[in-house]
Formats: sequence, C-alpha cells, structure tokens
Amino acid sequence: MTTAPQFCEIGARTNFSFLEGAAKPEEMVVQAALLKLSGLGIADRNSVAGVVRAYALAKQIADNFKKREKTRISEKEEIFLDPIRVQPGARLVFSDGTPDVLAYPQNRQGWGRLCRLLSTGNLRAEKGSCTLRQADLMEWGDEMMLALAPDPALVDDAPEWVALEGYLQRFRARFRKNVHLALTPTYDGRDGRIFAALSTLAARNRIPLIATNQPLYHKADRRPLSDVVVAIREHIPIAEAGFRLAPNAERYLKDAREMARIFRVYSQAIENTGRFFDKLSFSLDALKHNYPPENDPGETPYETLDRLTRAGAAKRYPGGVRPDIQEKIEGELELIRKKQYESYFLTVHKIVHHARHDLGILCQGRGSAANSVICYCLEITEVDPAENKLVFERFISTSRDEPPDIDVDFEHDRREEVIQYIYKRYGIEHAGLTAGVITYRTRSAGREVAKAFGLSEDVQSAIGSLVWGWSEEKLSERDAKAAGLTLTDRVTQDVLTYAAALLGFPRHLTQHVGGFVITRDRLDEIVPIMKTAMPGRYMIEWDKDDLDNVKLLKVDVLALGMLTCLRKAFDLLRLHYDVKKTLADLGNKNHGPEGEPVYDMICRADTIGVFQIESRAQMSMLPRLKPREFYDLVIEVAIVRPGPIQGNMVHPYLKRREQRERNIQITYPSKELEDVLERTLGVPLFQEQAMQIAITAAGFKPAEADRLRRAMATFKRSGTIHTFEKKFVDGMVSRKYSREFAQQCFNQIEGFGEYGFPESHAASFALLVYASSWIKAYYPDVFCAALLNSQPMGFYAPAQLVRDAREHGVEVRPVDINLSDWDTVLEEAEFDRAAVHRRHGEMRGVIRTRYALRFGFRQVKGLSETILKDKLVARRGKGYSSVRDLWLRSGLERAEIERLADADAFRSIGLGRREALWAVRALDAKSAAEKLPLFDRDDRADLQNEPAVALPVMSDGEQVIEDYRYLSLSLKAHPVSFLRAEFSRLGVVPHVELADMPSGQMVTIAGLVLVRQRPGSAKGVIFMTLEDETGVANAIVWKKAFARYRAVVMGARLVKITGQLQSQSGVIHIIVHHIEDMTYALGLLEGEARWFGANDRADEALRPTGDGRQKKLEQEIERLIRSRAVAAVKSNASQTAGVMPRGRNFH
Amino acid sequence: MRLTALSEGAEALGLKPGQGVAEARAMCPGLEVLEEDAAADRHFLEAVADWCDRYTPLVALDGTDGLFLDITGCAHLFGGEEALLKDILARLRRMGMDACGAVASSPGLASAVCRFGSGGIVTDADIAGVLAPLPVASLRLEEETVAALSKLGLKRVGDIMTAARAPLARRFGAFLLLRLDQALCLDEEPISPRRPVASLSAERRLAEPVVAEEDILALAGQIAVSLKPSMEARGVGGRAFELVLFRVDGAVFRICAGASRPLRDPQRIARLFSQRLQAVHDDLDTGYGFEILRLNVLHHEAFEGTQASFGGDRQSEASLAAFIDSVSARLGADCLQAFRFQESHVPERASATVFAADGLAAKLKASGPETPRSERPLRLFTVPERVEVLLAEIPEGPPQSFRWRRQQHRVSRSEGPERIAMEWWIDGLETPTRDYFRIEDEAGRRFWIYRQGLYDETPSPLWFVHGVFA
Repeated sequence: MTTAPQFCEIGARTNFSFLEGAAKPEEMVVQAALLKLSGLGIADRNSVAGVVRAYALAKQIADNFKKREKTRISEKEEIFLDPIRVQPGARLVFSDGTPDVLAYPQNRQGWGRLCRLLSTGNLRAEKGSCTLRQADLMEWGDEMMLALAPDPALVDDAPEWVALEGYLQRFRARFRKNVHLALTPTYDGRDGRIFAALSTLAARNRIPLIATNQPLYHKADRRPLSDVVVAIREHIPIAEAGFRLAPNAERYLKDAREMARIFRVYSQAIENTGRFFDKLSFSLDALKHNYPPENDPGETPYETLDRLTRAGAAKRYPGGVRPDIQEKIEGELELIRKKQYESYFLTVHKIVHHARHDLGILCQGRGSAANSVICYCLEITEVDPAENKLVFERFISTSRDEPPDIDVDFEHDRREEVIQYIYKRYGIEHAGLTAGVITYRTRSAGREVAKAFGLSEDVQSAIGSLVWGWSEEKLSERDAKAAGLTLTDRVTQDVLTYAAALLGFPRHLTQHVGGFVITRDRLDEIVPIMKTAMPGRYMIEWDKDDLDNVKLLKVDVLALGMLTCLRKAFDLLRLHYDVKKTLADLGNKNHGPEGEPVYDMICRADTIGVFQIESRAQMSMLPRLKPREFYDLVIEVAIVRPGPIQGNMVHPYLKRREQRERNIQITYPSKELEDVLERTLGVPLFQEQAMQIAITAAGFKPAEADRLRRAMATFKRSGTIHTFEKKFVDGMVSRKYSREFAQQCFNQIEGFGEYGFPESHAASFALLVYASSWIKAYYPDVFCAALLNSQPMGFYAPAQLVRDAREHGVEVRPVDINLSDWDTVLEEAEFDRAAVHRRHGEMRGVIRTRYALRFGFRQVKGLSETILKDKLVARRGKGYSSVRDLWLRSGLERAEIERLADADAFRSIGLGRREALWAVRALDAKSAAEKLPLFDRDDRADLQNEPAVALPVMSDGEQVIEDYRYLSLSLKAHPVSFLRAEFSRLGVVPHVELADMPSGQMVTIAGLVLVRQRPGSAKGVIFMTLEDETGVANAIVWKKAFARYRAVVMGARLVKITGQLQSQSGVIHIIVHHIEDMTYALGLLEGEARWFGANDRADEALRPTGDGRQKKLEQEIERLIRSRAVAAVKSNASQTAGVMPRGRNFH
Repeated sequence: MRLTALSEGAEALGLKPGQGVAEARAMCPGLEVLEEDAAADRHFLEAVADWCDRYTPLVALDGTDGLFLDITGCAHLFGGEEALLKDILARLRRMGMDACGAVASSPGLASAVCRFGSGGIVTDADIAGVLAPLPVASLRLEEETVAALSKLGLKRVGDIMTAARAPLARRFGAFLLLRLDQALCLDEEPISPRRPVASLSAERRLAEPVVAEEDILALAGQIAVSLKPSMEARGVGGRAFELVLFRVDGAVFRICAGASRPLRDPQRIARLFSQRLQAVHDDLDTGYGFEILRLNVLHHEAFEGTQASFGGDRQSEASLAAFIDSVSARLGADCLQAFRFQESHVPERASATVFAADGLAAKLKASGPETPRSERPLRLFTVPERVEVLLAEIPEGPPQSFRWRRQQHRVSRSEGPERIAMEWWIDGLETPTRDYFRIEDEAGRRFWIYRQGLYDETPSPLWFVHGVFA
C-alpha cells in the first residue's frame, strides 16, 4: 500500500465571497478535517471577512483533539475530528483583466501587506466592492505565496493566452519563486488539453504548478444551493440562468486521493501544495491588541492609570476611600497590569472625559464595565459597584483569556461628535468601526429564493411578509400554505428547502452601530478597512465575535435617547429652577425621603416616558413588584425580559417577594446557592448568576462556565449551547438538586441566549430609570419638555407624553409664530394643583412645577430646524404683525408659512387656521410689485384691495383633525370626545371609569389604537393599547380571537371592544371577546356640521349676498347634500383615519 | 407595494386602495394579490373605446378609467340622449362592467357628474344646481389645489361658484376658474379622439349576426360598393382599408389590408380581406357572430398611380427582416418559425423553436455566451441511443469499444469527460449525471457518447450515443 498523498487545498471560497461560495467557513473546515487534508486555505473574493471563523473553529478542533473531546459539527452531531491546519488568505480578483490570484501571507508582514492591498482596493471602489489592479499587487505583494488561477477558457483565445504569459513573466520577475500557476479541473471535456497547455506555459516560464479544485462548497450536494446563490447574484431565475450556472457539481472540497488521481500526470502540482503551505508561517494568533499609548509624559501607562484612578477615587468618595474599596481598586489595578490592558482603559477614559467635559455630552458606561471600580473612578460608569455588590471578575478575569469590552452610551443626537473626536484624535489609520454581518433571515431568504425560482412578485412578498419582524426560524409549511403555495408542488418544496439552507448566510457587511477598534499599529495592517455609507468613515472587515477571537479590543460608542433627554432636563432644571443635578448625584446612595414620592409614583405605574419601565409589560409588573429601593429597580429592569420570562422565573420571584413581605422564611436549594441567589430571593435573574450556578452547583470549571456564557450569546448562530445542557443538568442532579430545578436553571440560560442582562448592565440602566423617574415626579414640565425635545425616542408618541404631562397639571400651550422657539420651552405660569388628574392625586403635593410648556416648531411636521431658527426666530424682533409681515421680514418660503398656518400658529395675531391660510395663499413671490422698495414700507399693507371673503368656519372636530394632521396631536380636544355622545348610546365606557369596575365584568370600550404589541414570549397573544379622551386602556387579544378579528386588530385605527375586565394589583386589562372597526366614525368629525344645521355661523358664511337666485341655488344644494351626507361621512372617514395614529406595532 | 384596486369582497373586509400590501396582508393573510397591469388595463379601456365606436367615431380616453364620447349630432340615431346613455350603460352592464355615465353640454360637467354625482342627463338649466354640491375634486384639479381648497373649507363646487373670483384666481391661479367655467359650460373644451376619423367610411348593421367567413367577405364587398361613389366623386382610390367587426358581445376586431395601388373596385377590395381573413383565421374568434361591419378607408391616393420602372431595384435587397415582415403580414406571425439557441448545459435543451419575428428580435438583444465551450456534434439525436460497452476505464474513462446499431466500434481516440449534471430544478436531484466523451473509432467516425451516472452514483451505469460528428 502506498502512503496517502498529501494535499492542501488553497482555493476554497466560503459564503463570505458573497453570493459565490455556498458553504460556511466552519463547514469547509469541518469537511477538510473529515477528509484529513493536510491543510485548508480560505481565500474569499477580495476579502478576509470569513477567515477568523475558520481559524476559530480550527483552534477549537485542535483544543478538543488535545483533550480528546468531540467537536460539534451540527445541531445534532458531534464527532472526533483530527486537527486541521487552516491558513488565511484571499482571492484577489482584479478589475483590469489580470487573472485571479490566490494570495497567502507568509508571516505577519505579509498579512499586513495583504490587508493594505485589500484596503487600497476597498477604498478605491464604491461601498461594498473592491477594485484591484495589477499595480497594487506589484506594490504590496511581498512576503506572500501567490498562485495564479487563470480562467481555463483562455486556451481558446490566442491574444489572451499571450497576455497570460506576459503576466506570468512579470510576476515571476517580481515575486520569483513565490508565484505558482494553479491547475483546476473543470470537467468540461478538455481538462487534459488545458492542463497540457498550462503546464507547457508554466515550464517555459519556470513557474511551478499547483493543484486546487477551487471549491465553492464543501460537499457535492451543495450544488443546488450554489445554483440558487448564482441566480440571486445574477438577478435571474434559475431556469433562465443558463451558462451562468455550473454544468456540474465538481466544485466541492475533494480529498487528497481524488485530487491525486485527477492530477496523476502532474503529481508535482499536488506535491507543491504541501510546499506552498510549508512557506506559510503566519497565524492569526500573531495579531494582538496594541492600544495607542495614552500615558502622560514621564509615566508608564500603568502609572498614569494608577494616578488617574486614585485621583478619581478621591473625587468619587469625598468622605475617604473605604478600605474594602481601596482593596478592590488595588486588585483591579494588579489584574489590569498583568493583562496589559492599561492603555485600553486610558483610551476609553480619554474619550469619555473629552465627551463629558469638553463637549458637555452626557454619557454612561453600560454592560459589564459597570462591575469595575476603576471604571467608576475614571467616570466611565456611574454606578458604584461597591454599593451594588457587582463582581469585577465578570469583567476581566485571570482564568479567561478574553479581552474586556467597555460599552459607553452617549446622547443619541450627539454621538456623532464623539465619533468625530475619535477620528480626529486617532486618525483613520488607527481607528475604525467594527463590521456587522447582515445575514439572510427568514424573510429575506424566503423572498430571494422565491425570486430565484421565478415566483411572481406577490408570492415573494407573501412569503416575505408572513413573518412578523426578524426571525431566524425556518420558513414553515404553514407559512407556505398561508402564502397560497401548495406543498405538494415541487417548486414550493424547493423554495422551502433552499430558503432554510440559505438562512444565516452572510449577505453583506455593514457598520456596527458604534464598535470602535483603536490600535497603535496601523489598523489597515491588522485587518482590511473599507468604506461605509458615510463618506470619510471606515469600517473593518471583522465583526465583534471575530475581534473576540483574535483578541482585539474594542470600545462601543453607543447612542441612547434617554441620555439626550436627561441632559436637556438637567439643563432646563439649572436654567429655570436653579437645581443642579448629575446622574451620579441621583444614584449611588440611599434615596431617603426624597426618593419616597419617586418610588410611590413608580409603584403606581405612573411611568409614561420613564426609561425602560414605560412599556406595557413593565408597567403591569410595577404594581406587583413594588420597587422601594434602587436594587428593586435593577431587578425590575432585568426581570421583564424574554430571558427570565421564557425561563419562567418571574412568578417564582414575585411569590418570594410576597413571602418576604409576610416574613415567611425563604428557603434556598442549598447553602452554596444561597450566596449566589440571596439578593434575588433564590431565583436566578442575571447572567452572572447563571454562570455562578454552573460553577457552584453544576461543577463547571470557571473557564467552562465562561464558554457557556459565550455559547449563550451566540447560541442561535452556533447551536453549541446544547453541548452544555446534559453536563449542566447532570452536574446539578449529581449534587442533589432536583432535576426540575436544574432544567429550569438551564432553560433560563437558554433564554439569555437572546436577551440576557448582566447585573451590572441592569444596574446602569436602573440608574437612568431612577433619574428619569425623579425628574418626572418633581418636575413633570421639565420632563415633558426634555422628552419632546429629544424625539424620536422611547415607547410613546408626543401625544401621549403631552397628555400625561397635562394630567399632572402641566399647562401646555400651542405653537405660535411669535412665542415659540424651535424646541419646546418653559414659560412662567402658576401651577394649578387642582388640574392634576385624580388618578395622580397624590402627586399634588409632590410636584414642584412653576412653568407651562410652549410647543416648539419641532412639533410641526415638515419644518426645517435651521430655517426656522435662522430666519423666523432670528428676525422676529418685537413680533410679526401679519402674515405678509412675516413673509417679508423672515424670508421664509410660502410653503413654510403655509405649514405654520396649517399648524394653527397665527393665533397671537388673531388669525385662525383658515384666515391665515387664505392670507398665505395670496403671497406671491413672482409678482414683482410685491417687493419693490417703494412699497417696502413699515405699514406693509396688502397692495391689492380685494373683496372680503368669508370662509366657512371650521368645526371643532375639523380643528382637531387638522391638529393631528400637522402636529400629530391636539391640545384642543381628543378626537374621541366628539364621538362620546354616540358612544354613550352604544354603552361604551370611558376608560377612566374602568378602575372603578369589578374584575370579571363584561365591558365595552372604544378608542384610538395606539400600540399593537406581539411579544415573542407571549405565544401569539396581541396586546392593544387604546386611548380615549379620558385615558388609555389595555386590551388582550388571545390567539383565537385574533384569528377571528385579525383584519380589525391589524387595520383599524378606531375600535370598539367588548370583553371581560381583568384587574390585578391595579393593573387592568380587557380580554377581547368582540372587536369592531369604528374607523368610519372618524368621518363624523369632519362631517360638515353646517350641513346638519348645527353651526349657525357657518350658514351665515355661505350667504354672502341676499340675491334670491342665489338662495334658491343654496337650498337646492342643501337638499342634495342631505341626501349625500351619509356618503360624505364615509368618504371623509378614510381621509380622517389617515391622519390619526396608525398604531405602532412592536414585536 | 400598495393596493390599487379591490374586489367587492376585499372592500367588505375593510381594505382600502392605497394601503400597503404588507399591512393588508397583516389584516388578511389569505389575501390574493395580483400585480397591477397598467398596460392590460389600458388595453381593456381601449377595447371598450373601440366598442363605443358604434355610437360615434369621436371617442377619447379620460384618464385610466373613463371615456369621453362626443355625441353631438349622433344622439338622434339612437333615440335621443337618454336612450343613448341607457343603451350604452345597459350593454356595458350586460358585459359585466360596472359603469356609470352622464350626458352634459361639456366634457368637464359630464365627468364631474359621472364621477362624483349620480350621473344621468344634465340639462343646461340644471348645471349650477347639479354642480354645486359636488366636491371640488370633481373639477379635475391638481391634487395640491384640491387639498388647499379643502383646508380653507372650500370643499364643494358651490363654495367656489359663490366666492369672489379675483381672490380665488390670485390664490389658486387661472386654471381653477378655467376648470370651473368648463364645468359650467361657459368655456369650450375640445376632446381629443384617440383614432383619426377615417376619410371615408360605410357600415352595415345586421339584424342577424354573421359568423361565416364568406358572409363577412360578401358583406365587405357590398359595403365597398356603397363606398365607390364617394371615391369616384373625389377621384381617389384607397391604399389602406380597415374592416371593423363589432362582435355581439362587445369585442371589436380591426383587420387592415393594404393595396399596392389605389383601389376602388369593390370585388378587389373584398379580395384583399379574403387573404387577411385566412391568415388571421385562428385569432378571429367569431363567437356568436358580428352585428356591425364597417369599412374604413384609412388612406387614399389619387387614382392614377405611377408605374414602376424596370430599372428600379429598391425592393431587390430585401433583408431577412423585411422578408419575415412581409411573410408575417401576409400569413400571420405564427407561420414562420426559427431555431433559437437556448442557454442550457443539457444538450437536448439547448435549442428551441420560436416565431421567426421574435427570434430575430431576441437575437439582436442576446448577450453572454452563445454556445457551450466544448464542441457539440453536428447531428444530435432526439433520443439518445443505447450502446453496449464492455470495458471502460474506472472511474471516469472512455470506453475501449462499444456496440451501436449492431455494429462493434473500437475506440482509437477520445477526449473527455465533459461532466453535465442534470437540471435539478426540472429533473430532480436523483437524475444521474452524464459524462460525455468525444470518440473516434478506428474507421475515423466520430461519436458523442455518454455514460449515464457516475460510478459512485450507479453501480453499473448505462452508455448512450447522443450524436455524431461530421
């Protein structure tokens, strides 16, 4: 028996050669290991985006091999795998006719050059593509092994053939022995001839041959998917794709024996693959973080960090640093020094410090960084970890060789300034945004595959729209049926099969929201950089998991709307109330008597607009959880999450709280777990606790627990979490825990996979919860103004925020040309305690408001900030006296003034909506006489004398509709109030009265649909929020009712609901039995009151002359109109409905 | 994507035109959506317009869903305006159309009353009364103007009629008042008919519909007789004729025929159509027969034609396109077929027959590879023929000899394999892959032979000869 031939595949493309490769990098690696190849080179088209995944898996296989463990290769299967050598490279595809080149860096310098080469191409091209030229390779091609992979069709084309020889000569002269000529079997019937021709050519130019199958997929049975991918790429149905498709399935990863057989005449081509690989000594291990040195002159980075930390500690703990805190600081410093992360901390410190002190931007670290006292001392985070028993080991630990990850939230509308600062300070050579990999989800995969099979547009969108929101679940047969496809149909089955296969394939790279990689070395020598949608901004080719795998540090510069709101609120407080507050002032201490009313308010779920706890689910939890101290808020934030809900942890926790209140002893599963679970009353709620349970109760080693945590984060993608399931449950059972409890703990960990909150993160968020609640409780005027000025953000639309402020006694004044600013501002006003709604009666003594709100122009749809600020406000002087005056002096366009009239902003000069509009329409910029200096006088009277026209007076209903149309809300009345008489006749109960009704009673309510919510954790149940003039009401539509009333639930803007009232701890829901679309009733609002004779003045307006003929005409009109009134109401309804809130859908 | 039109059922569910398809589907997951086909809609409207030719030659399209008929001087032929309108609407309804109509002294008024009012006949005395209660949108104004007017509370035409004109013109421009005056019949507005009015025309209305071709031709001849005097009076002859056939159910067929020289003779004119009728025979669905036949002279010339000279050779270099055109015009587009190359790796699917005219057009557009890279045999068998192969190189070599049509061939040279996997989206995943070889036997004959199935797919694969090279 002869020894098995050695073969290394150097031409593998993965699905990171977007829409070319049809296998994941991981699949390629596993297959290469199964085939026991001597090596696998990953060479994607002008990209190294997929190499880290291959590298990480190869490393894991090697680790497992050493430990004699199996490697999981799919959701169900795990096997023993031999280690496989994987080399990162790239397939260089040129735009100038140069044949493709497979390029592999030999060492770290070569990698740097490859990255520079690809960056050059990326930056030259449009976003998302890469334009390379021969000259680029000539410039950057040193320290690399290269293989030319010409198109075999060249054999037929004499000029091209000559050109190929030219390339070979040039490359040979430039790169000497590093250049190879690749031979690839195509099975087009002429392989022998092509091999012979290429081999002659190579020999003539002293270039070694090298064999590769240039696989596009790991196994031959991927050919159909590969064809689908081609069809998607070429935007053509498969049946018409013709020769764009491969004629056969030969582009799979072939084993050494098969390759040796194919190349039996050219055995040196096979042997050369081994020699090629032997020259490659580069590994991604060689990339390590090297942060820019941020040390001050004369100090080492450690000394700088040490000094800044101590100075910060003195500031944070004015009463002196407690010994235990001092000890913590020393411990953290020691660890950071050992891990050499000093510069990383200093960099983050620098950015945060600059944002906070030089730019005046409110910011706060979130996530695990909040565990670190040093981060607290450096003002990166605002929550004192010592106060909140947070553990530093969650952040950095010796047992884990994983870089720390600091996420910082900034004000959402000013984050851009921080990003600009980072670019300015470090330059694009050293700072870049992390990539995010956009993958095919159910929706997009279904759509694209349906298109590839030539299904019509409406079937494509039917398949696409079947899924609510993002989902990675497979397109199910039920989905197909709903889209009108028959399952017995072959095409349908193919679509479902290949859509499922395409799931998770990357589509393109996009920039991560704010993850920055900052390096001391040139960034583009570590990883290629590329353009983003924004000019002057660059991102790297790797996503955050890739960065973790190659151990590069990143800083997440994130945007948070609530920070904008809080900063604006703090500014208003300082300006109008002379109250100086900061985030840290509001947290980190016992809130004492000042906190009492705040917590009272939270317990009543009076939290509209408050950070995090304003959603329907959160609000219904509050009266049951009854938070009384800061830590309760931390729990509140963490508990209403899909993780704990799916893990079924909420009710046990609530039960234990009730037990504690009644002083019943809480029992813990064991003493060891009491320490872990004490603060959450025996119910694991945080990610850390899950890990600690794994260690203490399931016997995991810390490193294993950490892998478990990482598996949680990526479990949907990698499916590795099940590896741990048996070990975890068995581990706990062997330590005498009940299997049920063990399974419960594990289920929760699974739930965390998608939405887990670490405790430190919950604590950071809880601080914002308290801060926003505090402002809302004491200064509802400031709170509402800040929220309005920070839109869009949060769960509620301005209409609800304003309504809530008014219910708390805040006066809100309409937008006006002479009184408003761009932002909503505060105007002196007496606070009317009686105006506080009785629901919030207890706030009467708490609220310290002394101002009214004046709407800003930002509330008006379609106005530009700069124009309004620079023209209208800047030139206002003592105020505008007429529409013409405003037009002449402010320089606003007529359309802009018309918009102001639409918004009813001329009241201060005595003009109603229609009068103002009438005047606006008369403005004519084209008429030269208007602007002659002669007439440009102070009185500015209208030059043209025209007969007075009496316009029909707007009914109140119309006013409200117009308010909604242009302001999205009305201060005049609620639309439903006009329908109240009608509704009362129908037995509809105003929402405010629901609180006084007994649970279980059948009631009928009606209102505008504000929100429809279908949480993933609620198994198809829909929550609807309705609003009438007295308040909001929540309705629950069970699956069965939803099936029956789907069209109404999803489409109606005004509904009438009959159902059973459920009241629990002050939380009221209506369980929908019957629901009726009342949208048509909105037409009544606009239904010309005058035609019903309701408005006398309007009738007057219609009779400008006493002419008898005229009168007869009018009578005739009236007669006809009355007969048409019903039809008119109907046609109005659809128009009016269009103005009303559509009802926001949340998932 | 948005909904543009709804069935009655969909309306009842509360769906609205203009609604997003995604939203509509969220409401009714079973919703059946057809893509709007504006061309087909227009085609349909034009067909209705053609049909309306029976009332007046002056038919104009109004937007995407309306028709203007200028019935000046025609109404009496149908028993007056009311009877005419009733006749049209009744017939349209019988054909399954939900139509409404109005007769008025101006297009603007008719359109307003028809689209926004109750339709019917508007007498000149009623104009203001009928118009006043209609919404301003009925005046065919720009959307922006309608919106601006309604914001001011001027929602009905009456509101504008009674308002002072100068301020209105200042604010909304002269167009508003023009439209108002047009609707009030104070201003003229011509309609633009979609078809040129034929220079000469004659028709025959039949009590009994005709079906048979010879009857149609005979009638055409009779109508041509009635045209002759007018042509003679003008001293012209027809070059282009059009025979318009109104089918009982409303379909209208137009058959054109050209003459190489001006014609007057009724028999010759009728004969022109006999050829055309034969050519279009399959397309001319006579259904329940035709009730009106009309013969139009579309183009005429002075009767004395010039004679062509012997020297003229303008026609001699007729291109293929001209040939296809002329034959197709004579015999119909489906009479000439051509082969077209089709991109498919599977040899028997690499060609298709198409109409010659389409094939020519497609050829001009075609891009990308025209042929597979590897050579194909001159003659490809429709059905591959089995051959017996005793010995072949494993796993993917050519046979050493084979037996085909009872004759043994020894292979002297070969090239291959060219591996062609079947088209899985048609053939399924199970159909075996083929390995083709070009083979020359000792006698120098060349064959295209394939093995069906790879050795690891099938234990004993079959061999076929699929074609022969020259």
